[in-house]
Amino acid sequence: MRKSIFHMIAAVAAAISLSACDGPREPEATGGPPAMRRLSNDQYRNIIADVFGPQITVAGQADSLKRSEGMLAVGAQTAEITPSGFEKFYGMAKSIAAQVVSESNRAVTFPCEPKDAVGADDACARTFFAGAGRLLYRRPLAQDELTLAVETARRAAESSGDFYRGVAVSLANMLVAPQFLFITDEVEPDPAAAGLVRLTGFAKAARLSFFLWNTTPDDALLRAAESGDLHTQKGVSAQVERMMASHRLEAGVRAFFEDFLHFEQFETLEKDTIIYPAFTVKVVEDSKEQLLRTVVSLLLDRKQDYREIFTTRDTFVTGSLARVYRVPTSRPSGEAWVPYRFPDNDPRAGIITQIGFAAVASHPGRSSPTLRGRAIRENLLCQKVPDPPGDVDFSLFESADALKKTARERLTIHRTAPACAGCHKITDPIGLGLENLDGLGQLRTTENEAVIDPSGDLDGVEFSNAADLGKALHDNPAATSCVVGRLASYALGRSSNEERNYVQYLEESFASDGYRFPDLMRRIATGDALFAVTPAPTQLVSAQSSTPEMERSP
Amino acid sequence: MSRLFPVNFPPFRLVLVAAVAVCASANSAFAAEAGTQTLGFVIRDWFTSVYNSKFLDECPEGLATSNDELWWRGLSKEARAKATNNGLLQQLTRMPVAMRRGPNGENVCLNPTSVVDPPMRVIEGKYSFGANLDGESEGDATAKSCAHDNFVHPDGTPGVDNQLYRLVGCVYGWRKGGLPDLNAHEGRGTSGLGMTLIEITGVTDPRNSDNVTITFYRSVDQFAFDGTGKPLPYSSYNIDMENGQPRYSDTLKGAIKDGVLTTERGDVRLPFYGNYHFMHPVIKDMGLRMEISPDGATASGQITGYYNMDAFLHYVGGMVGHTSTADDCPAMYVAAHELADGYPDPETGQCTHLSSAFDVKAYAAFVIHPDKQTASADQR
Repeated sequence: MRKSIFHMIAAVAAAISLSACDGPREPEATGGPPAMRRLSNDQYRNIIADVFGPQITVAGQADSLKRSEGMLAVGAQTAEITPSGFEKFYGMAKSIAAQVVSESNRAVTFPCEPKDAVGADDACARTFFAGAGRLLYRRPLAQDELTLAVETARRAAESSGDFYRGVAVSLANMLVAPQFLFITDEVEPDPAAAGLVRLTGFAKAARLSFFLWNTTPDDALLRAAESGDLHTQKGVSAQVERMMASHRLEAGVRAFFEDFLHFEQFETLEKDTIIYPAFTVKVVEDSKEQLLRTVVSLLLDRKQDYREIFTTRDTFVTGSLARVYRVPTSRPSGEAWVPYRFPDNDPRAGIITQIGFAAVASHPGRSSPTLRGRAIRENLLCQKVPDPPGDVDFSLFESADALKKTARERLTIHRTAPACAGCHKITDPIGLGLENLDGLGQLRTTENEAVIDPSGDLDGVEFSNAADLGKALHDNPAATSCVVGRLASYALGRSSNEERNYVQYLEESFASDGYRFPDLMRRIATGDALFAVTPAPTQLVSAQSSTPEMERSP
Repeated sequence: MSRLFPVNFPPFRLVLVAAVAVCASANSAFAAEAGTQTLGFVIRDWFTSVYNSKFLDECPEGLATSNDELWWRGLSKEARAKATNNGLLQQLTRMPVAMRRGPNGENVCLNPTSVVDPPMRVIEGKYSFGANLDGESEGDATAKSCAHDNFVHPDGTPGVDNQLYRLVGCVYGWRKGGLPDLNAHEGRGTSGLGMTLIEITGVTDPRNSDNVTITFYRSVDQFAFDGTGKPLPYSSYNIDMENGQPRYSDTLKGAIKDGVLTTERGDVRLPFYGNYHFMHPVIKDMGLRMEISPDGATASGQITGYYNMDAFLHYVGGMVGHTSTADDCPAMYVAAHELADGYPDPETGQCTHLSSAFDVKAYAAFVIHPDKQTASADQR
């Protein structure tokens, strides 16, 4: 009996092993040039909380990053800091530094006490900056960096007669330094490939940490970088498993979906409260959180198939959201979140029927099948919808026509006028599927007393209502290839469009892993592509300078 | 990592499963018994129903004399100067002084028999809102009513009993838009107190159902308002429970015809809060007639029935702001006893209740039964 169990276990292990061997193989990594990426506002906040504690308030916002290739994370590598942008960072830095050295926080933020608080103490300042600087710069401070920080603190302490004020001045400088504000791909010669470079262990640690946790590497990850573990597959895998088991993974998943779902659009979300009395600032905040809770619960907590984000009926509501959805909740007031499941015969299912999607992709006073169709195409399927031509005649469809009661009737001109039809044929038939949701995402069956027809088709797949549209999205291959490509771009910090083989490998892996999102994150985090860098420009020049073509160059 | 759902993720089962019907009609209905729905409402507006004519015809001698006026009339010039700090204290601030005009300084609103005031001016008009509660149109006494004059409804229906209106209709503060009801209304809006829920079960069609049951509950959840101060329909309200049972849960039978809910009559205890008073009067022979809007979001109508006289006098007597409302508690006490028309005391024959009518407006709501839901709130 014991022997047969042993054999059974061995067989299962062999099967698993075989299965793993038969799975998709990562292609040779292409890599990208070393880059610098500006911290996002969330990353900035997360780092300050991790280094100095959540009691430190970050007052203010840095300039927004610009979206590139569908992701803010890609735009971060071309972000610049303008003079006014620097002033914002400096204002935030001074405020943070003042809080860090404040009497009420010192017990938490300082590893030492100065011998004399009314003057300089280099030893204590050095201890402070060595510890905090390692986390802020995501590597140990170089000797000259540490010396500069201590000297600055000393000079300021001597002139002010206050050790802590001196530290605050120096810390504020550190918080506006490029080493802090930009995640830099620092490289070093690759011992395994003469003449080429690789990311330093600390740069690898930063990639992993910002990808999985959206914050600075913790001490264990920095120690792994220091020891060289991150240059070995075993070391990387161990760290990735540790990080994926951490509660901080949720922050990483949330950060990706905030980027993927274009959360910056919530900042300008406004509704006409005469038309939508239930709209409030709290509804905006809660609808963002609802999307994230739905995604995190489905993908991370319950480890379900990614495609179910388009079909799931399970979500969470607050009292504010319940009033918009017109569903019951046992916690009608306050901040409490309550699980809610839309009934099986409800046309609402999946994130596209949530307020956070339906209201954002609408006008302030009415729904918009065009905006919704475009959002689905561009954000969820990664398909580019051209902008309207500059000479479009809006009077064609803005003329008041009492006979045209529903959006479907009003938008007929979109699909029939030659100047409009090209684009609107790829947006409107999808967006009309959400017409049972008004401009705020409230359920309705009629518009202007006319019954709404929410049927349509997505790339040839017909659907009868919003929930059906979700099923069509669920089954659309573009939906999974989109999230794979975007997650790869997010992790690499550059567009993955040029790395088709790698993305294809990830798509196949995603499918073979049952479309489990954490598995996809793991594939990326443990793969070679995450750390691959092409030779630095200087290396290219030096390598090419020996070629006859370069020699002939003036 | 915290789990958002319980392991087996039981469905969020509430007695109100509103969304089913919401899909179809945007009503706050929910699947209850097979083939039936349940509608829920929360009462927002509760105003004493008064008929105000354009030229005050119903009060031919003018409005009732106020407590403040009586007190003022009774003071010498010297006493007026002393009571008002030589004229510096104005009406509102001298109010507590005005009420203490009993022979030994008693508060005459808390001790309405301590003085005898001139008779109160009451309604002498022909018309009133309300209903025929005693089934008698000539004003004669019945087994459950004392003899009294009946009104005619503005729509021409005779036999209307509304002695509460007759009592307060000529008092400045109790006329339409007056302070006592308005202040109570505001207080309920911001406090979450005196919240009455109406649950209609057995609905086969939200517009026409022959046999429905109407249950009146109390909630302690507050209203959620829109930007204009109106309650948002389809909010959820938990039933106030005591030892596992609803604290208030009287029921009436009724029917919905063409969107109008009409109940049979029965005794109903309702929660009431207003002017810093908690009350829970039993309205005897209470009936509700309420027109539900076509979209189901609101309902307006009238509650009629016999209101307990002592409860009403207690409410008025303990109210602050008599200077603003122009109540004269001693005179009202006497008049109320003269006008009371319902439920005579078996020993004295004195009627103990005042026929009454209240205008109500309600908003569609999810009535949550805390004892029957299984979902647990995630408070992370």
